Amino acid sequence: MRIIAVAQNTFREAIRDKVLYVLLFFAAVSIFGSKALGWISIGQDIKIVKDISLASMSVFGVLIAIFVGTSLVYKEIDKRTLYTIISQPMHRFEFILGKYLGLMAILAVVVTVMTGVAAFYVMLLGGEVDRLFFLAALLTFWKLLLITAFAILMSALTSPILGALIVFSFYVFGHATGIFLDLPPHFDDTVAKHILEGIYYLIPNLANFDIRAEAANEVAVSGAYILWTLAYGALYTAFLLLLAILAFEEKDV
Amino acid sequence: MEAIVTQNLSKDYKQVGKATVHSLRDLNLQVGEHEVFGFLGRNGAGKTTTIKLLCSLIKPTSGGAQVFGENVRTRAARRLIGYLPEQPYFYEYLTPRETIDFYGRLQGLDATARRNEWDKLAELLDLGEIADRRIKGFSKGMRQRVGFAVAMVGDPPLLILDEPMSGLDPIGRRQIRELMLHLRDQKKTLFFSSHVLGDVEQVCDRVGILVQGRLTRTGRIDMLLGTECAGVEVVAAGLDDATQKALAGRAERYHVVEDHIFFVAPDQEVANSLVRDIHRLGGRLVEYTPMKETLEEYFMREQDNGNAATPDTQAQEAAS
Repeated sequence: MRIIAVAQNTFREAIRDKVLYVLLFFAAVSIFGSKALGWISIGQDIKIVKDISLASMSVFGVLIAIFVGTSLVYKEIDKRTLYTIISQPMHRFEFILGKYLGLMAILAVVVTVMTGVAAFYVMLLGGEVDRLFFLAALLTFWKLLLITAFAILMSALTSPILGALIVFSFYVFGHATGIFLDLPPHFDDTVAKHILEGIYYLIPNLANFDIRAEAANEVAVSGAYILWTLAYGALYTAFLLLLAILAFEEKDV
Repeated sequence: MEAIVTQNLSKDYKQVGKATVHSLRDLNLQVGEHEVFGFLGRNGAGKTTTIKLLCSLIKPTSGGAQVFGENVRTRAARRLIGYLPEQPYFYEYLTPRETIDFYGRLQGLDATARRNEWDKLAELLDLGEIADRRIKGFSKGMRQRVGFAVAMVGDPPLLILDEPMSGLDPIGRRQIRELMLHLRDQKKTLFFSSHVLGDVEQVCDRVGILVQGRLTRTGRIDMLLGTECAGVEVVAAGLDDATQKALAGRAERYHVVEDHIFFVAPDQEVANSLVRDIHRLGGRLVEYTPMKETLEEYFMREQDNGNAATPDTQAQEAAS
């Protein structure tokens, strides 16, 4: 009940915020603008539109997760709205989970709208939208949930600007975790190698959630892979949320 | 049962590379049920820290506190407290009606109970006209009324108010003062901080004075002020210039209005000696008025004593 109240309020705040519409506008522009790239690569326009639509879903979703997520808790402390909330007879974790669920609902709406618009546009151009396209959108959403959990953890620990930088780095390195493992030979038997390997295992491999190329080129992806990736994301998300709850539990506000 | 009890409640703030700030030191306080308690102190004295500790926004470094016997760190305690922060902020995109509904939900009230709460609070705090306007454009006075409404959702027996009159215009202050008196009549326990002494004098049963994180005095205002004589005004007539000047040496100050001479003696002993001499030198006693200290004078004296008593805190403040 209390978690839902906080979640609904978070959702309402974002819905009444102009930034969301600005981001959605640019996302729509990038989907419709993708046709321009399609003209350059003759005969590939449907693939390009699908590819760019899924990419813009990921990029704009991440922007929302970073900008909204990293300021979510911090802003409440800064503006002192939190004072009257956590002095209520509620658990602090209810606040964190409510905030997370609210932001999750916003991302769900954003991804659904963008998927709908992209699918409509592909069909308008005479292409077909198959199950894989929607699965690619689902995995993108799943990745956003993981990033949001990390953003909320950062929000409980640090300022929005520093938090946004850290989450952005997390996003970039999460897409390129391989660089921590594929090290040149002169790293062999060094402390740096062990540290970088540690980072490889610590940072989630966000590239796992990316089946954009397969969706655009209609290359089959196994159901087992999809299920494994969903479970992988859910576990990481739960772990990050647990850390966010623990960080917030002890925090002086 | 006492509404608030604290035992050696302390809060330190440690900062890397800076001296530790002792925001509150060993606070031992009891506030009785149905009492209106004013917590006085200058900015930075530790008033807000105490309130945040009571509302469990921050954790004590040592010591503890209970409200109506419940540890303040528990949800059971928070159910008994209505809290108004200094210059309260609420979600700007919500209206007062939505705000009260939201806090009602956080308290676990069902829809009917929330509607009833709104009706009751809107009438008491005159929120009807602004019920469906977004808080974004509200004045400080309007926000304060919404703040009181939020603090009173769920009808808690204890209200903790942080500077409830700060930043308000005279009309706003009067409204809040009247509201506090109304709540006192409703047998609520009120604990509030302030540095506006006139307001405190008008609504409080008892006050506590906090100087640099230490509670230096608590008591009923009349008792605190009654223990100290702030001087005696002695008005005389029929004294020539030379006599006036001779007697004035013993007074703290004096002035002449037509044929009346006003002496202010520091205490009754000096005043009595002045009276004897006025009679002896052929003058006439017109008035003899022992003066009581005002709360402001008392407060200032406590500040000075407190500052002298805790030089280490001054050094720490200077260091930080």
